[in-house]
Amino acid sequence: MGTDEYLDLRLGDFLDGLSADGLAPGGGSAAALTVAFAARLVSMVARCSVTWSEAAGIAAQANAIGERAVELAHTDGHVWESALAALRDAEAGDDIDPKRSFALERKLEAAAAIPLEIASLGADAASLAAVAGEHGEATYRADAAAAAALAAGGAAAAAHLVRVNLGVRSTDPRLARALASEQAAQDVAARLLERL
Amino acid sequence: MTAHSSFTDAELVRACRAGEPDAWNELVERYSRYVYAIATRGFRLSDEDAEDVFQDVFTRIYTRLDALRDDSALRPWIAQLTRRRCLDAIAARREIPAEDVLGENESTDLAEVEEAFEVREALTTLSDNCQDILDRFFTRDQSYKTIGDELDLPSGTIASRIARCLGRLRETLEGRNMVDRGSRE
Repeated sequence: MGTDEYLDLRLGDFLDGLSADGLAPGGGSAAALTVAFAARLVSMVARCSVTWSEAAGIAAQANAIGERAVELAHTDGHVWESALAALRDAEAGDDIDPKRSFALERKLEAAAAIPLEIASLGADAASLAAVAGEHGEATYRADAAAAAALAAGGAAAAAHLVRVNLGVRSTDPRLARALASEQAAQDVAARLLERL
Repeated sequence: MTAHSSFTDAELVRACRAGEPDAWNELVERYSRYVYAIATRGFRLSDEDAEDVFQDVFTRIYTRLDALRDDSALRPWIAQLTRRRCLDAIAARREIPAEDVLGENESTDLAEVEEAFEVREALTTLSDNCQDILDRFFTRDQSYKTIGDELDLPSGTIASRIARCLGRLRETLEGRNMVDRGSRE
């Protein structure tokens, strides 16, 4: 399924796909779409804030983040399916083939990159929510806080996938980056949820 | 960047006619992506066909530049040359007349290529800082943290900077459209 088809998918169909017994869409895709929801919500707050001079520019950035998140939702499923297939192959093989091990390593690296990007987008969406919460019209500030909470949720889920699914060591710099994104998003969400 | 980079299209055409080699380089540099985008995104030609169109269009520009009546109309002229060559390429593949080729999708895609080119031109009028930060966020997909780290800016201020730069870009584009509309009236 291509990115455009993902966008054209009815919500019910996506949810059915999510609960089906296949591999994708799974947690990574759901995390990415949660970030996309957050970003689009920020865009809504900005567009409704007609007296805010930077609103159009903030909405444009929020839409860009939302589009990237949808792309990652689509990519995550495919990359993860491919990595799992490689893992199964590796488990089925009796002897250690260096070429196959290298290919598996590369696929796991690729699978790690997607949730890492999702976590980073979550931090960016939360950051935009903070700006919208500060400058957006009062009526819509609660939506900015909701957006921050969603962004933080998406970032936390993605960081968790980096940590657990790939089994990286606690000193792995990718994990450190994912956790930093998660923390940044959660700091914003906690602040906005308390204030707005 | 060469001395010709800041030339308007009309000035560039005159410099090309005067035989200044750097002027040709600048013309190719300025319009190569445009021609290629029309061929690949507007008409969805294969890389191979797009390369043929690209070579043919720039050969024609080189040999027929004297035929251009209005020096400032370089871009529409190049667009027209490119479209014709693309239609010929598609017609040759499908074995149908060139005038039967253009569908609704191609028209929409062409409009998007034109719009993208206008945005790219307008971007060049912004400050280097604005061009840089917009490129990082919208083209290179860099996160606010990466931008902040590389430009040594607090990450909390980046979204507002980008928004201000987008505001300037919008003003530039709206100013151009006002001039365009005014010139037609």
